[in-house]
Amino acid sequence: MTLVRKLYDWVEVRLGISEVIEKEMTGYLLPRTINNWYSLGSVLLFAFTLQVISGILLLIYYVPDADKAFKSVSVIMNEIPFGWLIRLCHAVGSNLMVATLFLHMFSVLFMGSYKKPRELQWVSGFTLLNLVMGISLTGYLLPWSQLSFWATTVATNSVGAIPVIGEYLVEFVRGGKLVGPPTLGRFFAVHVAVLPLVIAGLIGAHLFFLKRTGISAPPTRNDPATTTRQGSSYHYDKHEGGIPFFPNFFLHDMTSVSIYMACLLGVVFFSPYLFFTPDSFVPANPFQTPAHIKPEWYFLANYQILKIFPSEIIGLTVQGAGMTFIALLPFVDRGDGRYPLKRPLFMVCSLGGIAMFIALSIWGHLS
Amino acid sequence: MIPVRISAPIRILATLLFSLAVSVATGHAQENSCVTCHGAMPGKYGAPVPLWKSSIHAENNVFCHECHGGDPKDLGNAMKPDRGFKGVPKETAIPETCGRCHVGVLKDFLGSAHGKRLGSGGPTCVTCHGNHAVKKASLEIINEKTCTKCHTYERARLMKQAMQETEGMITTLDARIESLKLQGKASETMEQGLFNARNRFHTLFHNVIAEKVRSESAAIKKDLGTIGAQIDAIEQAEQKRKMVGAAAIGGLLLAALLFRLLGKTYDN
Repeated sequence: MTLVRKLYDWVEVRLGISEVIEKEMTGYLLPRTINNWYSLGSVLLFAFTLQVISGILLLIYYVPDADKAFKSVSVIMNEIPFGWLIRLCHAVGSNLMVATLFLHMFSVLFMGSYKKPRELQWVSGFTLLNLVMGISLTGYLLPWSQLSFWATTVATNSVGAIPVIGEYLVEFVRGGKLVGPPTLGRFFAVHVAVLPLVIAGLIGAHLFFLKRTGISAPPTRNDPATTTRQGSSYHYDKHEGGIPFFPNFFLHDMTSVSIYMACLLGVVFFSPYLFFTPDSFVPANPFQTPAHIKPEWYFLANYQILKIFPSEIIGLTVQGAGMTFIALLPFVDRGDGRYPLKRPLFMVCSLGGIAMFIALSIWGHLS
Repeated sequence: MIPVRISAPIRILATLLFSLAVSVATGHAQENSCVTCHGAMPGKYGAPVPLWKSSIHAENNVFCHECHGGDPKDLGNAMKPDRGFKGVPKETAIPETCGRCHVGVLKDFLGSAHGKRLGSGGPTCVTCHGNHAVKKASLEIINEKTCTKCHTYERARLMKQAMQETEGMITTLDARIESLKLQGKASETMEQGLFNARNRFHTLFHNVIAEKVRSESAAIKKDLGTIGAQIDAIEQAEQKRKMVGAAAIGGLLLAALLFRLLGKTYDN
């Protein structure tokens, strides 16, 4: 008997591990018609893990002090062995993670997987998207470059448009009237401690909801117009006759994760400054405002909306209304049909919304 | 219409009054009364203004009073001697005037054959650099037209040839370091090295001993070569990274293909 076998048996006796493997891996069945879009969830789990690991490694050398932060990032990039690789994986990874989150959300949207009984998955997923954008925003300030400083100044300024409490809220977020060392301390704490824990907890909840309802099957043209689900009692989608998660879909996941990693390394090695502007490499200077400071690409639409309207409060209200509508979509769109081509109004609204988001982002970039 | 002849003093007075009115109306008097008044004057009194505006001095906010004295903030008393107005510096005072800012250059100039002949037919700063339309100093200032105002061009040509390659190296290295900076690469040491080398090189511009120019240029080129080698090393490291990256990406895509094929096998 080999040592590994002995160890397995030891764990088996105590935890019944073979039963867990059977239930969660080989016995966990997925619909035969499942497609590659479903593996984006696993890709995101992998991306988040990569962000956590690279973030922890960066913490070893990063100094969250306004006088030392920029220099410490420069040291990581230039002197620490493989520091450049870790930092670029972290910075580029955050952008790719947001892009993958958008794709994941769009796939769920067009396959109607947000509908009853998966409303909680949608709400938790949408909240996760916003939290990931929040963690990206707080991380943006940490290098303490001109770009970090002024982008954060612009972003935190918009909070001031909120009536009555806006001014106090800006001061609370910044830790003072202006962006300064206290802001760095706050953003650092939120970026490395608060948001990762909240995101990890919400990922757990998201996966729990997924496990309890069972994964949704991709919609087909031949789906009945009304659901076959009857009554209001709890029901688990077993997908009898489906494919096992392991090894079948696990291999699909691995394919997608490999492609994701290839894309990440493609940017890291061949276009490492895709998400950096020259201002990213100049230390923060509160007395010198650079021309054309723009937020990250995923905030460009929000940025442009704030510019379109004559007052920021109208822009914020429009954005708030839009976000609330998306968050509560499963409670608004209550029809049973999921096949997109049989839902023309939904298709027009969704594609129109995405086109508007892209157009506003391009406009924001060019303006 | 009967042509009216107005004498020069009256024209100047009228211009001054007009300038005063304009400057009070626009608030420019507080900024620079020399430019405001002389800019509106005809002839030799107004001519320096457009020349100065095209100069590196204007680019760097070095105004008239830095050389001519006076008080540019007080239009009425701007040109009074008790406000420090000196007018046109005397020929022998020109190096000292320029040297108030260009301290190192003054020392180099006074020590050179040019400087030693100051006041006895030798050139001053403005002979080569001009007075109001001063451009950024470059090797182009050493040219046959300027040098032959006083002597033959042969020695100057030799010195220019010795310096040309160094100048080219400095310009190229400057661009390469700037490019590294835009990529967040640590370039402080190289920047400092280039700064020192450039300063040493600039001291040669006012040295008119051909042999010294040749030997110093060679020493500076050696230092520049060291900086160039440092940049080369960074760029080569980047190339190596790209090769490793290409291999890693290739491996990942191959893995993706194998996972896909294996997955298909299980599905079937």
